[in-house]
Amino acid sequence: MNAVLPWLVLLPPLLAAVTITLGALKRPVAAARLSIGAIAVSLAASVVLFARDASGVTSFTWLQVGGLAVEFGLRLDPVSLLMLLVVTGVGGVIHVYSWGYLEGDPGRPRYFAGLSLFSFAMLGIVLSSNLLQMFVFWELVGVSSYLLIGFWHARPAAAEASKKAFLTNRVGDFGFLLGLVLVWTTMGTLELRELEARLTVQPGALGAAATAIGLLIFCGAVGKSAQFPLHVWLPDAMEGPTPVSALIHAATMVAAGVYLLSRIFFLLNAPALTVVAWIGGLTALLAALMALQQDDLKRILAYSTLSQLGYMVLAVGVAGAEGTPVAAMYHLATHASFKALLFLGAGSVIHALHHQQDIWRMGGLARRMPVTFLTFLVATLALCGVPPFSGFYSKDVILVLAWEHHASLLFLLVVFVAGLTTAYMFRLLLVVFAGPARSQDPDHAHESPPVMTVPLLLLAVPTVLAGFWGHRRLVGTGLRCAGLPHRFVGGTSDCPVRACAGAGSGGPGRGVPWRWRGLAAVPGCVARSAAGTPGPVEPVDAGSILLRRVVRPTDCRHSGRGGLVGRRV
Amino acid sequence: MANLSFIIFCPLVAAVLIALLPRTFNVLFRAVALLATGLSLLGAVRVFVGFDSAATGLQYEQHFRWVDALGIGYHVGVDGLNVGLVLMAALVAFAAVCVSREIRERQQLYYMLVLAMAGGILGAFASFDLFLFYFFHELALVPTFILIGVWGRGAQRNYATFKLTLYLSLGALVALIGLIALYVQAGQTSFNLLHLTRHLALNPMAPGTQSWIFGLLLFGFGILVSLWPFHTWAPLGYAAAPTAAAMLHAGVLKKFGLYGLIRIALPLLPAGAQSWMNLLALLCLGNILYCGLVALRQRDLNHLLGNSSVAHMGFAFLGIASLNVLGVTGAVVVMVAHGLLAALSFALSGFLYHRLGTLEMDQMGGLLQRLPFVGGVMVMAMFAGCGLPGFANFPGEALVLFGAWKSYPTVTVFACWGALVIAAVYMLRAVRAIWHGPPLDRWKDLVDAPNLWVKLPYALLLAGLLVFGCFPRLLTDPMQPVVSQIVQRIHGETVTP
Repeated sequence: MNAVLPWLVLLPPLLAAVTITLGALKRPVAAARLSIGAIAVSLAASVVLFARDASGVTSFTWLQVGGLAVEFGLRLDPVSLLMLLVVTGVGGVIHVYSWGYLEGDPGRPRYFAGLSLFSFAMLGIVLSSNLLQMFVFWELVGVSSYLLIGFWHARPAAAEASKKAFLTNRVGDFGFLLGLVLVWTTMGTLELRELEARLTVQPGALGAAATAIGLLIFCGAVGKSAQFPLHVWLPDAMEGPTPVSALIHAATMVAAGVYLLSRIFFLLNAPALTVVAWIGGLTALLAALMALQQDDLKRILAYSTLSQLGYMVLAVGVAGAEGTPVAAMYHLATHASFKALLFLGAGSVIHALHHQQDIWRMGGLARRMPVTFLTFLVATLALCGVPPFSGFYSKDVILVLAWEHHASLLFLLVVFVAGLTTAYMFRLLLVVFAGPARSQDPDHAHESPPVMTVPLLLLAVPTVLAGFWGHRRLVGTGLRCAGLPHRFVGGTSDCPVRACAGAGSGGPGRGVPWRWRGLAAVPGCVARSAAGTPGPVEPVDAGSILLRRVVRPTDCRHSGRGGLVGRRV
Repeated sequence: MANLSFIIFCPLVAAVLIALLPRTFNVLFRAVALLATGLSLLGAVRVFVGFDSAATGLQYEQHFRWVDALGIGYHVGVDGLNVGLVLMAALVAFAAVCVSREIRERQQLYYMLVLAMAGGILGAFASFDLFLFYFFHELALVPTFILIGVWGRGAQRNYATFKLTLYLSLGALVALIGLIALYVQAGQTSFNLLHLTRHLALNPMAPGTQSWIFGLLLFGFGILVSLWPFHTWAPLGYAAAPTAAAMLHAGVLKKFGLYGLIRIALPLLPAGAQSWMNLLALLCLGNILYCGLVALRQRDLNHLLGNSSVAHMGFAFLGIASLNVLGVTGAVVVMVAHGLLAALSFALSGFLYHRLGTLEMDQMGGLLQRLPFVGGVMVMAMFAGCGLPGFANFPGEALVLFGAWKSYPTVTVFACWGALVIAAVYMLRAVRAIWHGPPLDRWKDLVDAPNLWVKLPYALLLAGLLVFGCFPRLLTDPMQPVVSQIVQRIHGETVTP
């Protein structure tokens, strides 16, 4: 393995952050160029590494005292390569988008410094070869998230949210650190590869502490991936600028917990995995229920992120002690692209409406912002698991796992949550983009500049196609359905019950927001208007959704109540 | 220049020089002080860079006879344990003189005292003679009282001075009794630390004797380091102290007690050490948890920083109590890191006090917009204070926690909570109260640090924290031989009786 390239992935963002802090705090253009240039270099290096299918570790000794030797190593293997692509790819697009989003903000240099620091820290987590090093970058990710949530620190809400995020994460890190210390005292090393090798040879090496170790380290993931009960910080974190929400609080940082779990998967035994699975399932359910109740565009997406993170954590939990957590990583990768796309689309809307975030003051934006609408629609379909978008495949694998591991309760739960997902996402989509304008704000809205729409289009590509890219290449270890044709039909042929449940659950989900109060909330039902007058016949399927641009959907003006359907404007 | 006596006597000679200058030469006092501490800092950097971590034994050693009858000599040198401390002390001394711009009255006396303090501190850390060690400490301690009494601030100034003087004098006295007892028990031949070590390794004292002498040293030095429950002088004293005195005392002089424990008490009284460590481990939880929670309740920035500084000392104590290589190494790293951090925090709070006239956090808010540089540095300092990786405190605290786990797992769990959660809560609350939020009208005329020269001391201290945080081996590698020797002596001794 080339020993320079991994460093070329990791260090440019750090250099950019330091240079901006020391010398470009009053030069926004220079700062933006530095930051974007740095992530571009990282991206290029990652692509080269990915293309070469590099593997191995380059390292130096960071600390050596007594029996504690801590290497600072960069570890490449299929999992970290995939994650590198996600972080630098999604990150690069969002860096560019930020330039447009924050046009004219005096704090831009500080913003880009924070973004570069974050990229550095996140890449550090991905490349870490040992647990203490991972903890170091884990904390750095926490602090860069703090700085970016609190970017508009003069706003009390942002200041409070940043504090809350950091402190909640610290509670999780408390468990993580204790877990590390326990691992070190039982095994005498913190090197991941060494630990894995030793545990493969001698599975009982952790002894009585095994479950405790697994659950303590899981605490770290609970904090960073905002799982119940430490989920409270993520919705508040939406106080940060929207590109930050997209990058950190949707695509990458919150996924770090899942990445950690897949890195330390060999440390988790069966009881620990059960807890992991249930925490994930519970989070997925709770967050989806909460997402239904929100009126703030970004908070709906935040709860949706929570819910999807719950899926990933559940996927780790149901992978089984002998399995591999590839399903979680797969959903992580596809989710990163479509959720980032959703957030950037939301950012585009918010930008156009001059920082209006209440969905009940939007409406009819599809006509005014076609690119934003179409990309948002694509991402929504992916999130709802509509074939052939990427989300279909990754969610599908999770359902397979839950089914195969006889976790029937969990299986039913995630199928139900899949329905809820469709419900809250279509509620969001229809209220924001369809129908007439619900306030004066959308009247002056217009499509965002290319610096923002091009990133949207770029992210739409993996959102649509990531499902077709062979997993074998993406996640290293093959899932059963690898080839494209097999992939496409595989979902149904492997396990018809589950496939029908997954696809079917989306149907009512799409119907529910359409006609919440109507009794006929079933797929392909006839929607009627709230006032009782006959409405247009709406077949609910993927194709017809495109038609909704031109068909008037249910209008909240008829609905005099708040909450799920609408509220008095 | 790479000469320990040069480093120690630069400030002391400068103090004498200032005393000899005419009283009206106000500009010169500061210039001389800057030059002296600057030279001393350069010397310390040269020593640190030139230090050979592969070699064993003392380096840059200087030895002159002094009072032969009692076995007292002038003996200075550095090994892995104190080479970092000397550098840290010299850096803090220079920074302390830099930020003394605010002093307008009696400058002559002021700079004399600050320089005496700086010289005393450097001397104490470099000494390998018990008498000299104690002498230099007193040389630094007495000016602290005067500095707080004369240039101090706040309504509680007199009370704070009184309390601090009483506590510290008591601590110094108890430690002195312990040191004399040690000298007497070891045969009254020499104050030379190397001789004593060799002598006591061959003819160890009875464990009972070791135990009571260690107790005296533990509590004597402990009071000097604000060991819970003898810590109440610290927050009050630092709140009342002028900036430079708070920096020098909280940052450096306080470490004298810890250094004494590691350098003298542990290797000379190995059996005694073991009998006290369970108690010490419990007391350090008092520092970490109790003082951390007290810090949470503070509304005055300096009280918060003072309590946080007391809480951080708990980690150094915990490292010592764990009695293994990891813990003791961690304790020394914590000492260096906290020295830089405390100096930086008090320097910044001094800057704020000078500009705002108050340190009540309720009256601040939104200051980051007015003071981006000072605010940015302080936010970083506060993150360093809650153990963020990248700053020197992290490797120190991590080593302590890893080391302590082996000896005191339950205590470590609580210490971990204190390090990660409690510290973060009070630090971030302070950041929120002072720097974030809407800017207040009353502070709209504030001016940030105007130029590089004003920024220099803060930048230097921060750079120190970052360098040692990113490359902790600079500190830990030279320390390894010394620390393993000390630990071996302790555990070797347990096997024999």
